[in-house]
Amino acid sequence: MKTTNSQKVRLGLFVIIGTILFIAAVYLIGQRQDMFKKTFTINAFFQNVNGLQKGNNVRYSGIDIGTVKEISMINDSTIKIDMTIDEKIVSHIKKDAIATIGSDGLVGNMIVNIVPGKGEAAVITNGDTIASYNKIGADDILSTLSVSSENAAILTADLLKITNAMTEGKGTLGILLNDTIMAQELKESITNLKTASRGASHAIDELNVIITNLKTNDDTVLGMLINDSISGMKLKNIVLNLEASSTEIEQVLGSINAVVDDFSSSQGAYNYIVKDTSLVNSLKSTLKNVNEGTEKFNQNMEALKHNILTRGYFKKLERQEKKEGK
Amino acid sequence: MYLSNGLIKGMLGLYNIKVQLNAFLKEIGELTYFTVRFFREVFKRPFEFKELLRQCYNMGNRSLFLVGITGFIIGLVLTLQTRPTLLEFGAVSWMPSMVGISIVREIGPIITALVCAGRIGSGIGAELGSMRVTEQIEAMEVSGTNPFKYLVVTRVLAVTLMLPLLVIVGDAIALLGSYLVENVKGNVSFMLYLNQVFNALEFGDIIPATIKTFFFGLAIGLVGCFKGYYCKNGTAGVGIAANSAVVFSSLLLFIIDFIAVFVTDIFYDL
Repeated sequence: MKTTNSQKVRLGLFVIIGTILFIAAVYLIGQRQDMFKKTFTINAFFQNVNGLQKGNNVRYSGIDIGTVKEISMINDSTIKIDMTIDEKIVSHIKKDAIATIGSDGLVGNMIVNIVPGKGEAAVITNGDTIASYNKIGADDILSTLSVSSENAAILTADLLKITNAMTEGKGTLGILLNDTIMAQELKESITNLKTASRGASHAIDELNVIITNLKTNDDTVLGMLINDSISGMKLKNIVLNLEASSTEIEQVLGSINAVVDDFSSSQGAYNYIVKDTSLVNSLKSTLKNVNEGTEKFNQNMEALKHNILTRGYFKKLERQEKKEGK
Repeated sequence: MYLSNGLIKGMLGLYNIKVQLNAFLKEIGELTYFTVRFFREVFKRPFEFKELLRQCYNMGNRSLFLVGITGFIIGLVLTLQTRPTLLEFGAVSWMPSMVGISIVREIGPIITALVCAGRIGSGIGAELGSMRVTEQIEAMEVSGTNPFKYLVVTRVLAVTLMLPLLVIVGDAIALLGSYLVENVKGNVSFMLYLNQVFNALEFGDIIPATIKTFFFGLAIGLVGCFKGYYCKNGTAGVGIAANSAVVFSSLLLFIIDFIAVFVTDIFYDL
């Protein structure tokens, strides 16, 4: 039986399709493992890799940028992870970036998360080591939980003792719970407290009213003082004037003091009058003479009024005074 | 008397087991010789390219529809059956990666190989068996043509070469079937589905799976040819040859698969 041309063509087509599918699958898988990209290698050191494996994804800000190339034990507590990173992304990763190991979802594969640093560091170069942050593992959480549960057991035991004591009426709380007289007294106290608080509340309300009145009513002195700005200004001026007056009074008193001092200390007439007794005697006799003189002068003047020559003049004066009096 | 009868029956049973064991071992031995002869003849001239192409067409192209429809249904059913369980766990987004790995690693190769064992293995067994009982093979020997080279080598080579291609196409169609379900039920785009499938796949999945399909093809071809080539007992023997070719090659497929998983485990640390 001979193979026809159409059979050969169909066979060729089938072989080509099959081969293309296989190559496409291999390419797609290879592409995801960065086999056909220019890559960069960076590394980080961890204490615990939590089950990370070769080929696990490396993410930077949530984008898959590479894979884990190698995991090697450096010493008993340090594990080195080499990561293959897509060269196109490298310009965005700075030297202060931090690598952490996380999980892709709740039950997903482990991944290396690279988070950007906060500073303005230089761009990472090939073979650089970035800082790492060890997250708390499930074992650590479980061990903490175990301590917590132990503490909870101790706490509940103590709590049990306390509740037992309380139900038996021991201690203050037990008395509070079981003593009926005390409960009655407490009830009364609370009633009193209630009354007192009601009174206090009422007093506070009244105080509030007063304060409100003070705030709003300008007629009262305090209200005016608080609210009236014009009166306030006036009062301020008065106070200022008072201050100025007191200063001036002080100055006047100073001057008076100085004058009094001068009086008492200097050789002036006052001092002479106050202190010289002979002058007083002279003055006394002089004044006596003056009095006698004026008496005699009055008599002379009276005599003049009755004199013919001058009597007309005096009558004229009297008439003028009367006119002015009207 | 009763005891002696029982003893005789027991001895007869043991004898039968021995005979069957001998026959089985003999068959294994003959198959080994047959395999060695195949590897000796395959590199010897003259090469029967035209017959090889014809067999490739018969076994490859003509199996394509069967493999395609089987793969499509498998992808469809696998997704439909798994979806409710994953939905319960809120892990439906894992469906493409799960179905992709299952199909590429195991279901695709083994289902395609079983389908081919049924179609191709039985076909070879029946064809060569009928040629044997009608003494066409003896006639070829008399005419100076090497029947082993013309009939066996070409067929075994054709299955060995075509089965990996059938598996790849079958995998692709199965993934397409799975995508259709995901698209209808979960409104997943084709690119997202493809991304999720290939994100989950590694070389450790696709390379060993492809390599083992060569062995599957070799097993189907060798067993089918062996059963047909050494067919006895006339026309009744043809049916037996076709039937035993399917049964034996199917069993052999699972054994090879089991070994392949072990070897893959050593190299790829699954």
